[in-house]
Amino acid sequence: MDSLIPFTTSGSLVDCVDRKMLVILRDGRKLQGVLRSYDQFANLVLEDTVERIYNGNAFAENWLGLFLIRGENVVLLGEIDLDREDEIPLKQVDYHVLDPYHKRDAEIKKQREDAKSKILYEQQGFCKEGGEGDGY
Amino acid sequence: MLPLSLLNAAQNKPMLVELKNGETFNGHLVNCDNFMNITLREVYQTNAEGDRFWKLKECYIRGSTIKYLRVPDQLLDAVKDEQNRAREAGRSSRGGPHVGGRGGRGAPPRGGRGGRGGPIRGGRGRGRGA
Repeated sequence: MDSLIPFTTSGSLVDCVDRKMLVILRDGRKLQGVLRSYDQFANLVLEDTVERIYNGNAFAENWLGLFLIRGENVVLLGEIDLDREDEIPLKQVDYHVLDPYHKRDAEIKKQREDAKSKILYEQQGFCKEGGEGDGY
Repeated sequence: MLPLSLLNAAQNKPMLVELKNGETFNGHLVNCDNFMNITLREVYQTNAEGDRFWKLKECYIRGSTIKYLRVPDQLLDAVKDEQNRAREAGRSSRGGPHVGGRGGRGAPPRGGRGGRGGPIRGGRGRGRGA
């Protein structure tokens, strides 16, 4: 990267424009699409976006189209190596086949997290998560 | 084309808005501002579980509660065409190949000067004019 451009949102994302990117959101969703634009808040414009879900050794894709993602919700943004993206040891299945499994796993994970934060709150003196504004 | 200009260009277009809490709003964009606050009309609201629906004539959504917006795929092309047309128009009315003098994006080579408040004025600055 051009070392003259400081390390800021806008500085470090220039190189990613028009590249295929993976975006992970705070709710755990994984999106892949071509980054067309961004701003100082890391609001993103993704074209030809697909959502990918994973379960065991299978994955599935759901085509969603043009996205405008509010920057706050982004956990991770990474470039996809087009030469190697097909080298994954997972097999693709139909989205509707995998979706119920994925939903079930998400539910189980949520229950575990809830149980964990309950213990942390009641026994370990942690504060409650999901206070005002957290869910929004 | 910044994300918020894309949103501006989406006025009167159908879109889906998902809030951070998972609720979704399907409707046509009436207006928006730079905080991403938006108003929609003819809205179908869906709860986070996706099992309950409401129909609203019009609604206002505070920008800070938004997770993402899904807009029509054609919008990006439409906006690019619009920009090109505007550029062409500007060019022909001024009768020269120069568009907008200095400034704008795609800055000239950086570096060299650029520190703060150097003693030499009138170098490469952000200022306007000559």
